[in-house]
Amino acid sequence: MIEWTARARRPLLRQPVTALALAWLVLLVLETLVLPPLLPTDPRFADPAQVLLPPAAGHVLGTDALGRDVLSRLVWGGRWTLGMAMAALVVTFVLGLPVGLAAGSLGGRVDALTMRVVDALLAFPALLLAMVVVAILGTGLLPVAVAVGITAAPAHARMVRSVALEIRSRPYIDAARSVGCPPLRIALRHILPNAAPVLIAFATTQLGWILINGAALNFLGLGAPLGTPEWGAMLAEGRGYLRDGPWISVFPGLALTLTVLAAHLVGNGIEEALKRD
Amino acid sequence: MRYILLVLVLLTFLLTSCAPQTHQPLVYGLTLAPSGIDPHVNASSELGIPLSSVYDTLVYQDPATGEFVPGLAQRWDVSEDGLVYTFYLRDDVTFHDDTPFDAEAVRFNLERITDPALASQKAAFMLGPYARTEVVGEYEVQIHLSEPFAPLLDALSQVYLGMASPTAVEEWGDEYQLHQVGSGPFVFAEYVPGDYLLLRRNPDYAWGPSIYQHDTAQVEEIRFEFFTDPATRSPALETGEAHIMGEIPPQDAVRLTEDEGFYVEAAAIPGVSLMMFMNTTRAPLDDPLVRQALLYGTNRAAIVSTAFRGTSPVAYGPLAAVTRGYDPAVEAYYPYDATTAAALLEQAGWVDADNDGVRERDGEPLTLEMYLMGWGYMPEVGQLLASQWAEIGIAVQSEVVSYPEALEIGAEGRHHLIPFNLSGSDPDILRKFFHSQASFNWAHIDDAEMDGWLEEAARTSDETRRDALYRQVQLRVMDQALVLPIRDYVNLNGVSGSVSDLRFDAQGWFPILIDVTLEE
Repeated sequence: MIEWTARARRPLLRQPVTALALAWLVLLVLETLVLPPLLPTDPRFADPAQVLLPPAAGHVLGTDALGRDVLSRLVWGGRWTLGMAMAALVVTFVLGLPVGLAAGSLGGRVDALTMRVVDALLAFPALLLAMVVVAILGTGLLPVAVAVGITAAPAHARMVRSVALEIRSRPYIDAARSVGCPPLRIALRHILPNAAPVLIAFATTQLGWILINGAALNFLGLGAPLGTPEWGAMLAEGRGYLRDGPWISVFPGLALTLTVLAAHLVGNGIEEALKRD
Repeated sequence: MRYILLVLVLLTFLLTSCAPQTHQPLVYGLTLAPSGIDPHVNASSELGIPLSSVYDTLVYQDPATGEFVPGLAQRWDVSEDGLVYTFYLRDDVTFHDDTPFDAEAVRFNLERITDPALASQKAAFMLGPYARTEVVGEYEVQIHLSEPFAPLLDALSQVYLGMASPTAVEEWGDEYQLHQVGSGPFVFAEYVPGDYLLLRRNPDYAWGPSIYQHDTAQVEEIRFEFFTDPATRSPALETGEAHIMGEIPPQDAVRLTEDEGFYVEAAAIPGVSLMMFMNTTRAPLDDPLVRQALLYGTNRAAIVSTAFRGTSPVAYGPLAAVTRGYDPAVEAYYPYDATTAAALLEQAGWVDADNDGVRERDGEPLTLEMYLMGWGYMPEVGQLLASQWAEIGIAVQSEVVSYPEALEIGAEGRHHLIPFNLSGSDPDILRKFFHSQASFNWAHIDDAEMDGWLEEAARTSDETRRDALYRQVQLRVMDQALVLPIRDYVNLNGVSGSVSDLRFDAQGWFPILIDVTLEE
């Protein structure tokens, strides 16, 4: 049985801030899909005659220390940064969801055992854990996505478990169990669909967290290959030029901040929309 | 109780303010905190910046002329066969712990350095074919070699072969690096690893070489602090936290030059320029045409003006222009010419048949693997090369690796391209890179004739003959296109306007601190 078709208290688009944040995310996704190939300048093309130019016509967001166009790097960077975050989110779901669902819907010893492991992982500083994973897998965008995904998975599992536990205590689950429904079916057919909205809200919030950690690893040079326009890597490239070329790091920083903020707001908005009267 | 505490606190403040405030220390910013700073043991250039003023050496090299001048040795002579160096030592030198300096101390130091148990990373290798030291008289000592070795005086002029107090070395044993004692113009006062190193003026110093302008140091104390993050260096200088700062990033150096309160002391470093080694054993770089195409296809002037903001000279050959034995003939080689580069690639069979921007041969795209180290603007150089080579249809895959990884990759030849640079004032440094048995033979060249030249040049004491041999080596390296030189290394030191007379020794790395003055 699915119960969330019930009327939401505040539909998503009736919350102006959430709507704005959602619009930013949608625009960003469209932008990264459509815009990069249409740009006139190659994000890797270094022009020695155009080094450290402030924003002006020609280079709307200025050029970096190697004479590359910041705007085209920013636009291409969205593709790498968001792509990595999406891949990481998939990893989080693949790892966190089954564990949390099993713990929450089976309870008992399975719950106790898996949650102790999750607790242990949660106690470990996330960025450090991610760096350990990168150290094992090697650097690169995919390893970073996996690493960030793995570090986000424990929190995800915990969330799934708590939602599943709550749903498990509802009368219709008792009803299903009393007619002899097997646990796997209960978990997949009754608990998961009802947990979905909350999980989507949580995943959206986690997206912001994932973006920050992914960018941090790229900032440290563990992610995308050298020269890749990625927001975290761009921040690192610009940090030696804060005095003479602040635009190199300001714009990717701004893009990252706005995107993380938007993800967080949309997550909150979904949660708000799901609250029943 | 509370009142007693208050009174105590006030008293403490009162007393500390009474402490004599006679001088402020000169603060000198170092760029990395080496894990070991015993010059006999460790290899870092960083350690020599403070310690070359703690230790005296047997001889000194005049940075202006390149000549060797007396130091702890008043004079010396070399036997006909080049195997025995006799040094006649000063008799008026005492170490900072009052141990007298004599021939026995020289023997003690050289034996210490060459003792395998010390595991010296640099000093022992600098001595080359060292055999033994013989004490002839109280102030007369002979160094015996197993074969002639021209770079010996150059080695003996460097801090790595500085003379340490035998008493202190024996007293402190494994902890000696924290309690170093030399005979130089400054005393090693305090060292807190990773935090600071304090030198104090040696008032009794009276045996400085002729390259020192003063008899004793002009500042009371020098405090060395570590600024590992390049981005923090110029701010520390500009806020007055430091008076001298090594290795300022080029962009900051340009700004400091324009600022009235500061100036930039650019020390040209002799040795092997920053260059890309091209692996001659790995296709497609086993083809000299492709290697030459890379050289023609590289706009080095643009790289220097972009990544180094024009603060370094363009490098043309394997040796930096300020190195002894440098041959300017290399400057005529491979001017930037993308058309010639493209023609050479076509001649070698690389054509962009499918118009994807990357040339192919037999269906294989022209992709080169480049490994870079994270320092010295190598990542920037790598990206600029990739951008320039994209124009002539070459794709580059680059990866930033750690130093140990780079050593392994270079030695095993897993690279197409890998950069390196190394400082040293004697052209014998070429032997480390272009001899077939060399540890840094990252071009993986095996040229018996060149091996012969390098070996002969290391043995010959005749300077003209040496120059001729090194000239042949430099031209061979460029004819064969073994390396892609990028820039000569320049150490950009940011200096506060209150500091004057900062000069550097022949190595370019080590300041002559005795003459430095600080306006208070």
